[in-house]
Amino acid sequence: MNKVLKTLLGVWNTKTVVAIAIGAALFGVLMNFGGIPIYTNTRLTTAMIVPVIVGSMFGPVPAFIACFVGNTIADLIGGWGYWFDWSIGNGVLGFIIGLLPLYGAKINEGIFKPLHAVIYAITCVVGNAFAFGVITPLLTVAFYGGELTITFLQAFAGGIANTAVLVIIGIPILYALARRNARGRNLVMEEEKEE
Amino acid sequence: MENRLLINLIPGDTFLHRLTGKTKVRTFIILLVYIIMSFDIRLIMPLFILSIIGLVSLRPNWKKVKYFIIVITVVNLLNIVLFWLADPDIGSYWCGGGNTVLVSLTERLFLSAETLWYLSVRFIKMITSFMVSLVFILSITPSEMAAGLYSIKVPYKICTIFSIAFRYIPDIARDYNNIKVSLQTRGVELDPKKASLKSRLKQNALILVPLIITSFERVGNISNAMDLRGYGRGKTRTYYSEHEELKADKVFKAIYIILLLFCAYWIITQNIMPQDFRMWYPFV
Repeated sequence: MNKVLKTLLGVWNTKTVVAIAIGAALFGVLMNFGGIPIYTNTRLTTAMIVPVIVGSMFGPVPAFIACFVGNTIADLIGGWGYWFDWSIGNGVLGFIIGLLPLYGAKINEGIFKPLHAVIYAITCVVGNAFAFGVITPLLTVAFYGGELTITFLQAFAGGIANTAVLVIIGIPILYALARRNARGRNLVMEEEKEE
Repeated sequence: MENRLLINLIPGDTFLHRLTGKTKVRTFIILLVYIIMSFDIRLIMPLFILSIIGLVSLRPNWKKVKYFIIVITVVNLLNIVLFWLADPDIGSYWCGGGNTVLVSLTERLFLSAETLWYLSVRFIKMITSFMVSLVFILSITPSEMAAGLYSIKVPYKICTIFSIAFRYIPDIARDYNNIKVSLQTRGVELDPKKASLKSRLKQNALILVPLIITSFERVGNISNAMDLRGYGRGKTRTYYSEHEELKADKVFKAIYIILLLFCAYWIITQNIMPQDFRMWYPFV
């Protein structure tokens, strides 16, 4: 149980702090420059890749913060008004996607098998449904009162776009990162060899 | 692309620039609550006018800001039209049941006075929220922002995340641009007019891989530099950018406390005593 909690939180050293910050900045840039608008305030964006990377390297809570901060910053410099319900929704999605290390996909050590890809795809679908079907509408009602039809339409469009991006672009990137990190893993340290 | 970056790293010298980060962040957060809490034009309009005065007083680079304002206005107008298409009858829900049809295109698509009122209030609300954030972002530097967040008891590692992220957005945007240009020189078509949606998505993914690698390669450098300067050793943190409170800060403090009390009063009364209208509509 303790170990699970530790995986969830991640290790909070300077490297994690900087990586989350860079992830958030990347999220902000991709949200503003790399998006294709598909519905009101909803765009087909590659920004959702950021929590996948941060999550795979540092765990779900860092992914949550990278998403939340990234979305807040994107709102701030992109200027389409403040939608904290969406920031939190994106954060929750980041958390769920960032669960990668929990089911054994250790990108840092180069482990990413087809089984992990399947679980990853399922978490993407479930995460989108939960974050944009439950969390965001609930917060929209709490913060802004009403407007549920539009939020659901936006959530539907955004959820499908996100799932598509996450699965179609995310899985090849995870494979590429794992392969990159797996280089040199077949080497054994001198001391270990002697044992 | 450079037109789209509004982050300033050097403190300016106008009245709003000289406030402390603490004052800026606190005022901004309370103003956000103020904007979010109501759809009442009587509350939003004064803030809208004040934010315009604030923007003028900051003496911004108008060429940059003009581009921003045009883009945001067009995007928000488009949003309003889509809102109308999604539910043309939304006004009667907000303005107390009335339904005065002005123009009727088909049975489903009609424009009523209530909907027009709701949509224009919504538009002004969005623009006000944009103006306030524009004034905020133009008046603050990343380290002042971190200091301000720290003053409202956010853990300082999170504050650092904010300030580093703001600091590196221009760098990453530049990398993005460089990668895009170098892909274009190799013959990849990225112009939205010439490429289809599918190929644009594919090309966005092509930009993504080198962008991710260059961005995360910085992590080692930055974190080593921070470790060498002893980052993360202490439990608390002070900020170099934060100076002593000036007279103006004290005035702002009084204003934001009054505003906070007003917001609390408004939210409580709106939720405990149900009003017969959801938003103020003068022509009932």
